[in-house]
Amino acid sequence: MDEFGMGSHSTNSAYGEVFNGLKDGPTGGKALSVGGSSGGSALAVASGLAHVGIGTDTGGSIRLPAAYMSLVGFKPSYGQISRKGVVPYANSLDTVGIVAKTVPDIWLTYGASAHPIIEILQKPDDNDPTCLTFSSRERIKVAMLRRKAAVLGSKWLLVPSNRRPEKNEVLIPRETRRKLQNRFLSQRKWTRRIGVPLEYNIEEMHPLVRWAWTATLSHLEGLGCEIVPISLPSTRHALSSYYILAPAEASSNLAKYDGVRYGARRDEVADDADGTLYSRFRAAHLGPEVKRRILLGTYSLSAGAMDNYFIQAQKIRRMVQRDFDSVFRMPNPLQEDAELNMDGVDFIVVPTAPSPPPRLRHVKTATPLESYVNDVFTVPASLAGLPAISVPGPRHPDHPWQPEVAVGMQVIGQYGDDYDVLHLADNYLTDFHDPNTLSRTQQTKVMS
Amino acid sequence: MSSKIRRCAPATLSLFANTSARTPRACIVSQWLRSRGLTTVESTPSQTVPLRKHLKDEAKRKKAEAKGSNINIKAKTNPHSDEWELTVGVEIHAELNTACKLFSAAPATAADINGLPNTRVALFDAAMPGTQPQFQRATLLPALRAAIALGCDVQRKSGWDRKHYSHWDQPNGYQITQYYEPFAKNGNIVLRAEDGVQKTDLSGAQSISIGIKQIQMEQDTAKTTHHAPSSYHVDLNRAGHPLIEIITLPQIHSPQTAAAVVRKIQTLLKSVDACATGMELGGLRADVNVSVRQRGSSGNYSYGGVSGLGQRTEIKNLSSFAAIENAIMAERDRQIGVLEAGGVIEGETRGWTLGASETTRLRGKEGEVDYRYMPDADLPPLVIGCDLVDHLRTTLPELPDATILRVQQDYGLSAKDAKTIAALDDGERLEFMEETVELVLDKADDDQVDKTKVGKLVGNWVLHELGGLLATSNIAWADVTVSETELADIIANLQLKQITSRTAKHLLATLHELPPNEGRPSVEQLIDNGNLRLRPLSEEGYSALAGAIIAENPEMAKAVKEKGHKGKVMWFVGQMVRRGDEGTVEPEKAREVVERLLGS
Repeated sequence: MDEFGMGSHSTNSAYGEVFNGLKDGPTGGKALSVGGSSGGSALAVASGLAHVGIGTDTGGSIRLPAAYMSLVGFKPSYGQISRKGVVPYANSLDTVGIVAKTVPDIWLTYGASAHPIIEILQKPDDNDPTCLTFSSRERIKVAMLRRKAAVLGSKWLLVPSNRRPEKNEVLIPRETRRKLQNRFLSQRKWTRRIGVPLEYNIEEMHPLVRWAWTATLSHLEGLGCEIVPISLPSTRHALSSYYILAPAEASSNLAKYDGVRYGARRDEVADDADGTLYSRFRAAHLGPEVKRRILLGTYSLSAGAMDNYFIQAQKIRRMVQRDFDSVFRMPNPLQEDAELNMDGVDFIVVPTAPSPPPRLRHVKTATPLESYVNDVFTVPASLAGLPAISVPGPRHPDHPWQPEVAVGMQVIGQYGDDYDVLHLADNYLTDFHDPNTLSRTQQTKVMS
Repeated sequence: MSSKIRRCAPATLSLFANTSARTPRACIVSQWLRSRGLTTVESTPSQTVPLRKHLKDEAKRKKAEAKGSNINIKAKTNPHSDEWELTVGVEIHAELNTACKLFSAAPATAADINGLPNTRVALFDAAMPGTQPQFQRATLLPALRAAIALGCDVQRKSGWDRKHYSHWDQPNGYQITQYYEPFAKNGNIVLRAEDGVQKTDLSGAQSISIGIKQIQMEQDTAKTTHHAPSSYHVDLNRAGHPLIEIITLPQIHSPQTAAAVVRKIQTLLKSVDACATGMELGGLRADVNVSVRQRGSSGNYSYGGVSGLGQRTEIKNLSSFAAIENAIMAERDRQIGVLEAGGVIEGETRGWTLGASETTRLRGKEGEVDYRYMPDADLPPLVIGCDLVDHLRTTLPELPDATILRVQQDYGLSAKDAKTIAALDDGERLEFMEETVELVLDKADDDQVDKTKVGKLVGNWVLHELGGLLATSNIAWADVTVSETELADIIANLQLKQITSRTAKHLLATLHELPPNEGRPSVEQLIDNGNLRLRPLSEEGYSALAGAIIAENPEMAKAVKEKGHKGKVMWFVGQMVRRGDEGTVEPEKAREVVERLLGS
């Protein structure tokens, strides 16, 4: 993975870069980026070394590798999974995510809604002060039920039960049971409205990605979903906001790696007259990207720049959250007096990355700014703490599915709506591929 | 033990009950201190003597102020006070008395001097990657008690911020504090002349009020020890210990008052059990902001909402009351000197060392540390319910001013004695006195006994007789073996004229020297065994004794008779008491007889 999770291609590491394919030899120049920062976890899953992988998603670090390697990458709502033991990059954005080949694998790791007892990763943890408490999780359930009741126009919601009838319990008459069953089935098929944010249709988007996006939307429409164009005006500032906030928090979190407690043993004397400072060793062992972000963050938090950068970025973050709240049908469970928005959508479907995986050699020559653009579609959900999942997009009829043309589609839901996001991905976006035969990694024939 | 204990936090009350059977007066605080390697034998004198000394000094200073002739004192007062006005604001850092650290369950080690270094450290305190702060709710209680005692508005919602600076005593590279939203605001503290306020600051009023801008909670740093020539050892035991920072408004106008404010705040914090150790043990540190302006003029600066002030400088890390007073004086004189020479004061941070005559520049504005304050994203806002604040308000221990007033009113002690007894030995002396008064009142036959009379008597005995014995035998209060019951027995016997006061003093001294074991004789036994009970002499007996002494000392008798030297009468009384059998001569009666015989 990238050093301290800072990077989009898993190339910033003291141990060398992670890549898809062969870097050396006759086909060397064709090696692909695995995405980042959790590219290593994703590659392990993609090449069959592991069933599921976990990693932190700060600005897309799970979803981008998933998109680049035709995997399913899920970033839950902020606070759903405990961060205990996670080395923080930007605490207010860091979310533990899961990467796997199929959505059911993610269900199994994350925990299933139909079986509330199965809470594998998704559960309260007193060790993490930002992990959602039991009562907050109850509030989320209330918000979800409020939306469902409003959409169905009924106060009676039928939910499946695991309870076996007791021995002496009077069974409901067959007729009534059938009625209830029909009603339950009809309730399951309640309309799903899909939002398409026009701001995401950026100029830099690769034509294949744009094609996959439209194809996904028509596929969903064919399955009975309603496609609604929406507007998220602050999206265009989200990326800048993210690249102020994340480095600012990183500069604070990484202050402990001061060259005294961590790193190799050194015997040289410290550098100032009193022998009390250690600025000479502050940057030892840190990679260039990490140094760059620490300096960026230190600057944007300094007294002279705070108002122009950090405070502004926080305001943009608020605006991004408000934008999302205004388009979703489900009320934000974190807002005290949030109202149901009956004109709102249930999900937003956008591409995960603006292009298929780039070649490693292009990544290396790109400026930092160019590689930051890779996060443009993943960052807004991170800033707002929303659940998002990336699944492999549809096949293009003229371009057979190859690792080079892998495209990820992303489903974003309202805060706390994790189960529905997983549900949509599981039931509506899985028939593009056979997960068992999907070609995810560049295969190289070894001549012997 | 008794319902009289008002000055201890509820938590220690139950402990009192458990240990009361072991020794006559189990002192949980001293035992706790000893268990932490702090002998009260050593620390108590250092805590009490300065107070007594302070009271004396205060009295001296006041006298001198009234006279206005003392040269030493004159040097201390501001020679420029007619022309320049001094303005001071104080920031006090106090270690909270808590069981654990602010953000980890590691035990707090406020006064642990002998504890092994780096033994009370949670992973978070050592800034291990992947650890997160766990706010310990219990640490809020002493902080809230302090805020209530200082009359602050406790904020319903406050937040945690990171203050960044790079130093090895700060493993995380930042300190978690409450910069943007402190938990308590807008308090005030009232000081009277007895608190050591300079007379001119009172300007005729009974008391002055100094505003408290805010109180914030924050983490303490690790302790560094220097090992020559070039090693520094870092002990993380103190890292993460909860502190409160109390910031006053710049409303103080003299060095004495500034020291008085800090002393008063220290007393308040101790009385509500917010803070276990004071300045003398490093539990309290102060920074002061000093500015001067010409009287009648208005400066261009404004701090904490007080505008029209001169440019201020900050003096950091003052750890004694004398240091506060002297540093402010030195800085005031420096600033006036610079301004009178036509210079400009720079906003800078200065330091002061004990014994120095001038403050020294630590860093200027351009060298100012940029703390890059940022809200801590790991910690949710701190929400404090009104019910908790109300509960603490109603169960708050009595504040020192209220105690002194009550002791004056209920027990008839003088203001000075009341202040002394309340302040000595963390209020244990007062508890001892109150207990004794109750016992004496129980022993009195009729209900007509005046409580204030008994109170005054017991107060004298506890403060002066027992206090005198402590001073001469060099024993700390915690090791006193005389119990409340014993003293009450002595005083009751004295009141009922069963023994003379000389005998009573003798009895107290005897009991004071006995070890606190099972075979300790009761007061009645001692009186009976020593045959000390008052057997009044007959009228003739008195006359005969007095006559004999007068006959032996004709010169003295003559002096009284002819020259009217009334003082000599008492000499005769003394002789009679000494000459008569132990416990037979009552001084009052002897005096009457001598006066009658000498015809004066």
